[in-house]
Parts: sequence; C-alpha cells; structure tokens
Amino acid sequence: MKVAIFPPNSLILADLIERRGHEPLAIMKEIRKKVKDAEIDSPPMNITEEDPIKGLKYAAIEVPSGVRGRMSIFGPLIDAAEAAIIMDEAPFGFGCIGCARTNELSVYYLRKRGIPTLELTYPTTREETMELVNKINTFLDQLEEKNG
Amino acid sequence: MSEKQNQNKIQEKPQCEVEDDIVTRMIILSPSANISQSELVQKLHMLELPLTIKSTCYGAMVHGSKDAVDQAIEKSRQWDPFNIFTKDRGFPPGDPRRCRGHRGAAREGYHQLEKEFNLLCYVGEALKKPEKVKIEKPEKVSVDEFKKIVNENSSKIIDEGEK
Repeated sequence: MKVAIFPPNSLILADLIERRGHEPLAIMKEIRKKVKDAEIDSPPMNITEEDPIKGLKYAAIEVPSGVRGRMSIFGPLIDAAEAAIIMDEAPFGFGCIGCARTNELSVYYLRKRGIPTLELTYPTTREETMELVNKINTFLDQLEEKNG
Repeated sequence: MSEKQNQNKIQEKPQCEVEDDIVTRMIILSPSANISQSELVQKLHMLELPLTIKSTCYGAMVHGSKDAVDQAIEKSRQWDPFNIFTKDRGFPPGDPRRCRGHRGAAREGYHQLEKEFNLLCYVGEALKKPEKVKIEKPEKVSVDEFKKIVNENSSKIIDEGEK
C-alpha cells in the first residue's frame, strides 16, 4: 500500500514503512524528478510556471504562489495515498511561513481524505520512541489484514 | 537466478533505460550499530554492483540503477537488521547544488537527519523486541464538554480583563 508520511522526508517513518513491505510516499522521490529536469537550475528552490497552476487544485488563487508551488509537489502524493502516518510536533518542522502553511494544508488534506490515518507525537524519550515504533508496526499490520 | 547472472543483467541494461531509473539512497547507521562506516563502505564495494558509493559521516550513500541500489539495500540490511536504516535522497552524491563542501555549511535536511539519528538506537531496540499495542482512536469532544471548556476559559479571560 502507498502510505503518505508527515513530515514527508522523515527517515524513521520511511524506513519503518519499507520494512513492512509498503511504499512510503516520501518527498525525496518527487524532488528527484525535479532534479533530473534540465530546465530547473536550483531545485527545489526554483519552480516552473506550471507548478503554481498545478497547486491551484489544492490552494486558492489568493494563497501565495510559494504555498501553491509547494502544494504542487505535496498534493499528488496526498492524492496517491492509501493510508497516512502523521507525526505532530516534529522539531524539524521549521522553515519560512510558506513552509508552515503548506504543512498545515498538507495535514488538513490528509485528514480530509478519509483514508486510514495514524496520528502520533514526535518522541523525545526511549519509552516514547518504542511506543511509537510499536504503534506504527501495529497500524501497518492492520492495513495488511484489511487488504488481505 | 544466481547472483552473478543478476549482476550481469543489471550491467547489460541499455544506457537510456538505466538513465530513467537512477536513484540515490542513504544508508544510515544507528549509534548502536555493530558495523562502522568504513566497514559498511568496504562491504558495499565487495558486492561488486555497478554503483557509486560514497562514505559519509552517518554511513554511506549509494547511487545507481534502481535494481542495483535495491540489491545493495537488501544486502546491507542483512549485515545489521536493527541498526541499519535507509531513505531515499533526491540529489545525487556530491551534487554542487546541495553538497556541504560547496555550500560551506550543513546541507538542507542534515539537521533533521541529526535529530532523527539520536532516536535510531531506540527504534532498533523496539524492532528487536516488538510489543503488541492497542491503537486508540481519538474521540470527538462532546458538545457539553466543549461548552464547559468555553465557559471556564471565557470567565478566566473576563477576570483577567477586570484586573
């Protein structure tokens, strides 16, 4: 199954999902497509004129083009997701206000999709981390059971 | 299919086809790994796969065709299953747009890796000793409870305003 992750570049989430035989919908694969595009000088800083148009599907015209540009990368991942794991309060969730709004919008769309979603808080201690791993594994096993 | 035949198959792929599915993966060693970075890189070289292998402070980076990279990842996981973690990378190794050497500072994404790296030993421990847990679905707040919270907070705000 295709599992969307949030933060979309999390090592722990992507690795745990792969270990259970699912496909993590990580941002790195999308960025790679941009990197290979010879027309873009400095991905992901540069976007093509098509990107904000694609982003219009996810954010209104009044929304800054930076958010729409980011949503043109995140959006197709959200659409393709069959399940999602969201890790709240991740310490690396910093960036400009465009990043913050895109993060909020991405989580909103993931919740709105109505797909099986696991929401967790970023762990800080040993006990919390172990609980998080067990929860993720249980959630992924349940997905397998549901789909045979 | 034997391992040698499999390797030959990867090498025989036409260049244009290979170009389309070239991927980069990061192999990250947990702090409690039983294998060092240099050992990891040495073992990766010993696989004799058509890959670009780069030794890094967190482990290694492998770059090449998807088949070869997948094989390398599968093998590397066997060396220390609970302490070797992998993730995709968008940029190829040494790309001047991202390389630390060219930037003069840590590349984007490194700080996140650093934070997650600290938790990897606990993740490995949890993978070694899995436990069954129950996932509780978050319940919605009832209207009565919500009203109670609103009333409590609004009275607090009014009191503070009067002071």
